[in-house]
Amino acid sequence: MKSRGFLPALPALILLFVFFLFPVVRMLGFSVEGGTFDWYAKALGEELYLRVFWNTFEIALLVTFFCLLLGYPLGFLMATTTPFWATAGFIFVLLPLWTSVLVRTYAWMVLLGRNGVFNRTLIESGIIADPIPLLHNFTGVLIGMVHVLLPYMVLPIYSAVRKVDPAIPAAAAGLGASSFAIFRRIYLPLTLNGIFAGSVLVFVLSLGFFITPALLGGGRVMMIAVLIEQQVREALNWPFAAALSAVLLVFTFAVYALAQRLTRTETAR
Amino acid sequence: MNIKHLHRRHALSLLGGAAAVGAAGPAFAQAEPAKPAQLVVNHSGGSMGSAMRKAFFIGFEKKYGIKVVETSPVDFGKLRAMVDSGNVEWDLTEIGGQDAIRAGKANLLEKIDLKVVDRSKYPATAQNPYVFASSVYTTIIGYRNDVFKNGSQPKSWADWWDVKKFPGARSMRNHPTDNLEFALIADGVPKDKLYPIDFDRAFKKLDQIKPHITVWWSTGQQPAQLLLDKEVVLATGWNGRFYDIIKKGAPVAIEWNEGALKQGSFAIPRGAKSPYWANKMLAELAVPQQQAVYASELGYPGLNLESLNFVDPKVKPFLPTAYLDQQFWISDEWYAENGTKAAELWNAWMLKKG
Repeated sequence: MKSRGFLPALPALILLFVFFLFPVVRMLGFSVEGGTFDWYAKALGEELYLRVFWNTFEIALLVTFFCLLLGYPLGFLMATTTPFWATAGFIFVLLPLWTSVLVRTYAWMVLLGRNGVFNRTLIESGIIADPIPLLHNFTGVLIGMVHVLLPYMVLPIYSAVRKVDPAIPAAAAGLGASSFAIFRRIYLPLTLNGIFAGSVLVFVLSLGFFITPALLGGGRVMMIAVLIEQQVREALNWPFAAALSAVLLVFTFAVYALAQRLTRTETAR
Repeated sequence: MNIKHLHRRHALSLLGGAAAVGAAGPAFAQAEPAKPAQLVVNHSGGSMGSAMRKAFFIGFEKKYGIKVVETSPVDFGKLRAMVDSGNVEWDLTEIGGQDAIRAGKANLLEKIDLKVVDRSKYPATAQNPYVFASSVYTTIIGYRNDVFKNGSQPKSWADWWDVKKFPGARSMRNHPTDNLEFALIADGVPKDKLYPIDFDRAFKKLDQIKPHITVWWSTGQQPAQLLLDKEVVLATGWNGRFYDIIKKGAPVAIEWNEGALKQGSFAIPRGAKSPYWANKMLAELAVPQQQAVYASELGYPGLNLESLNFVDPKVKPFLPTAYLDQQFWISDEWYAENGTKAAELWNAWMLKKG
């Protein structure tokens, strides 16, 4: 039985080994080049890098949170509405996914700027007197990243909600359960896997974000990927870049394990 | 290896054939390395790519019958990876000034063949054995001339720092290069006494301007766009990007005084497949008439000092070489040694609140 499941997966496993596992191992080798852990000491010992790691995780968490806040209702709606609206929803969610991140980021610059569409509309309609700073700061980065990453949250949630047998909530409603109780006791536990998958995807992808924070953050929002890129391309200090990446990798696994543990205990309850 | 062999044999048989017909002149006696099917040139892409095609590549393809394949972007890390792994895809690549010096020292580049490339008209600063200086660019002040009318714009870095006399949102590059120098000049250091950079003094001066910088830009197109959208009214930026929007009628002008000059450079990666033809391409890049075509497109003149004679007089005021004495040269040598430290201090400074 076991080998029968293993064989068809072999090509994928070989692919993963050659193009994923091997490079990661090589990279880890780079980080201890010359048998020294000095680069790790630098990555974990200097305030600059620790603070940027912290910033990165903070942003990734916030982005995940907002994606969930927006993505759950949307995924839920798409899974439970008529096929026509579901298709419409899919088009709106997927279309931006096929557009280059750079183009989308520049589009946000046009919309969010001091003289951008939002601020001008609000000023001309007399709601505000001075433009709200939406761009070139933390807010701009959050808006841009949530937009880019939203599909990765919506799709797993959509498929999780689809899997819920509609007879269960119908039965609960027939027995007099409120909508909130149906959500809390049926949908939420049954779609927890979708929430988990979406959150992990969004969180992990956020950690590596690069162009969006640089352009929408006005240079004030520093993420670890930017520093790694500097080490790779400008400083040509590959051992240090590898050490920074390894630290990021370990932190990411830790967060992943923690999240998995939390959802397990939730579903077990 | 096989392909190379094949080409060589092919070329030899062609040679033999030509000699047999009797059409071979003395030129054929000189054994020129076989022509490759294509020459790969890596550059920054965008409008630079199209200008290079117009000024240099079309002519090269016609002259030698070798197709020029263009790739981008410029990537020092990738260059090193290519040379280290022995799989060099580029025959010629654009390279940043300080990177070029480090790459030469790190043995990542082929020496330029001075028998093929004539640099006799080039200034002494452009004679590095590994690096071909293809053009000059400068970081200067771009400003909205509907806000700063009739020459009321900041005309020096001291003015740039004077936010009372010259109010308005500003943008500078998110990078130590240029900004450290601008800060020192604003603080009274003479242009020829900037190096070695006094970090403490520079960052102390930068502290004063930090709250007034709305955007720290990271890509070359940003400052032009920020001025166009009136997101800021003053921005440091590369002259060609401002020239581009000025040509299209934007209410933007350039203040050239105390600009930071740099060389755009090209180099041949060690182990390139067709180094001889890469040198031939460099020879093409050195032709003053073609440099003039390139300069008129982008505002980046070549360093062949004769090229200014071939430029339209209307374009000349937009070329940094017309203001060389008002500006200063960024020291690539200093950055090649101290760039990493500068970047670290810069990042730490950017993270500081305030």
